[in-house]
Amino acid sequence: MSATKNKLGGSDNLLEVKGLKKYFPIHKGILSRHVGDVKAVDGLDFNLGRQETLSLVGESGCGKTTAGRTLLRLYDPTGGEALYRPDEGDAPIDLFQLDKREMRAYRRDLQIIFQDPYGSLNPRITVGNSIGEALSVHGIARGAELDDRVEQLLERVGMRAEVSNRYPHEFSGGQRQRIGIARALALNPKLIVCDEAVSALDVSIQAQVINLLKDLQDEFGLSYIFIAHDLSVVRYLSDRVAVMYLGRIVEIGTTDELFSNAQHPYTKALLSAIPIPDPRRRAKHVPLTGDVPSPINPPKGCHFAARCVVAEKGCFESYPVMKGPEGGHQAACHLL
Amino acid sequence: MASEFQHDPKHLDLKKDSDQPLLELKSLQTHFFSDEGTARAVDGVSYKILPGETLGVVGESGSGKSVTALSIMQLVPQPPGEIVGGEILFKGESLLGKTDEEMRKIRGNEIAMIFQEPMTALNPVYTVGDQIVETVRVHRGLDKEAARVHAISMLEKVGIPSPKIRVDEYPHQLSGGMRQRVMIAIAMSCDPSLLIADEPTTALDVTIQAQILDLIRDLQKEAGMSVLLITHDLAVVAEVAHHVAVMYAGKVVEYATALELFDKPAHPYSNGLFRSLPDLAGPNEPLATIPGMVPPATRFPSGCRFHPRCPIATDKCKTEEPKLNHLKGNAGRTVACHYVDEAAKL
Repeated sequence: MSATKNKLGGSDNLLEVKGLKKYFPIHKGILSRHVGDVKAVDGLDFNLGRQETLSLVGESGCGKTTAGRTLLRLYDPTGGEALYRPDEGDAPIDLFQLDKREMRAYRRDLQIIFQDPYGSLNPRITVGNSIGEALSVHGIARGAELDDRVEQLLERVGMRAEVSNRYPHEFSGGQRQRIGIARALALNPKLIVCDEAVSALDVSIQAQVINLLKDLQDEFGLSYIFIAHDLSVVRYLSDRVAVMYLGRIVEIGTTDELFSNAQHPYTKALLSAIPIPDPRRRAKHVPLTGDVPSPINPPKGCHFAARCVVAEKGCFESYPVMKGPEGGHQAACHLL
Repeated sequence: MASEFQHDPKHLDLKKDSDQPLLELKSLQTHFFSDEGTARAVDGVSYKILPGETLGVVGESGSGKSVTALSIMQLVPQPPGEIVGGEILFKGESLLGKTDEEMRKIRGNEIAMIFQEPMTALNPVYTVGDQIVETVRVHRGLDKEAARVHAISMLEKVGIPSPKIRVDEYPHQLSGGMRQRVMIAIAMSCDPSLLIADEPTTALDVTIQAQILDLIRDLQKEAGMSVLLITHDLAVVAEVAHHVAVMYAGKVVEYATALELFDKPAHPYSNGLFRSLPDLAGPNEPLATIPGMVPPATRFPSGCRFHPRCPIATDKCKTEEPKLNHLKGNAGRTVACHYVDEAAKL
């Protein structure tokens, strides 16, 4: 939202994702025959500007985590392209076309922070070594220089430099998340995928980590893909929000547009379910009945139709196209 | 679902102090003994729940809110845990004096409990029907047939579609929201007068959370039971609670009606919690934070336990522990702070 941020569109986007797909094959029987696919992510299109925060939201199983991981090639994509421009005016590189060795050069630009930093920090390695590992692997720093850099990083995330000789179990959840952030920052990345990065933290600690993420974004010009189910955090932190349902984006727009003028019936139901911290203003829930359909055999019509309060006959017959200006507020609903 | 709210005092025409509370804790202390020292997880907790109301207990991890609930049920693992002091009065009778046999009759019958993760609370090798049948046969002495009929009607009551089919399914065949509904069906099957819900919606999506909160509220209205809702989420408390107890480091630091608390938190810790909510911050202002973190239960600070993190603490706060006192002009509201007037200016 600050003036330094680049407008979307044009050739300045950090990332342009087109038709991102990730299917997980299902094998059955002793011959492990391929009998079908879980279509976890089924055709995502979105752009990410420089120094922008885009949030992916939706219920469990909507594919938001898979989308983030596939983008970083932690999963092999099934289809689509992810055009990445390291700097403004660079020719775009399709991350999905790179082989393992080529990808390594870009990995330092693309980092991830997880929900449970305890699960992602090696318990037998001191936090200093965990943070420094990437620096030595990429041949960026060694010896005393490496130690200095690790200490700087720890201090930047609000920890004392002395803690670099300690082990992950000695820290609280909030401190471990700071260590996870320091490690992600070590290689001066351009993009950090925050996968439920503040979800497990208590509210006072969560506020500390959110402030830290915002400060780091301003200081280092980071872009974030923020994956979260807590919509009040998303609202506070995001420039734009994409709502996912069963592997697809059903609505995308700026945070203001989305929260004040939601178009898709699913977005409306989702937003109405957010509890409001004010007993005088109790939320009127739009009831959402039924279950999310199976991602193995999604219905041919709108995936949300069976649970939608305004669905008509046509909604069950074809999947709606995205309506709205390219790069602007868009929603996929037949009734718009 | 019915959504008109009950902060309307007419709905809860029992807010007078003369009402006998359904449950009352007096200076409850539950400690855990280990080689690393004594963890004073619950260290002098007092609160009460009126008949038919919902008490929200909020606080961060390690504040002792769950251990308090387990103490009420007398489910604290012993050793290492032990209730070392205080009183638990349920319908005017002390629960701490009850024998194991007497407690078994109360647990699951008069006082029922639901947890955050229904998958670990449900038995995976029994059908959901069997688990309700077991509860009502033990406590209500129904025969097999009658118990099964009751199980189906309970599943229907908690909004499980096709209850006649679902009754024979196993927990793994249900979604997270459905499992929590089954837990609620089991808990409600003996018509308890108190339901303890420990983070019942924390593991659920926000849409399912809304359904479960609506369900608990509807069932409460219908059955007239009291609910003790433990949560870290202030917004959830705002949705359902009549009274709120804010806990910090094993103690209650503030007790108020939900309206009073959300209008103006009185304790510096409650105030800090509210101010760190992203809902209330403008888009470009940093979130207010509480510096530092909750101290471990083995090393609670002296004096007021919040003093190392408190913006208005003085030397007095370091040495002298504040009592839970009534707020001036409001007999129903209590706050444990030496400097209530200064805290009001925060």
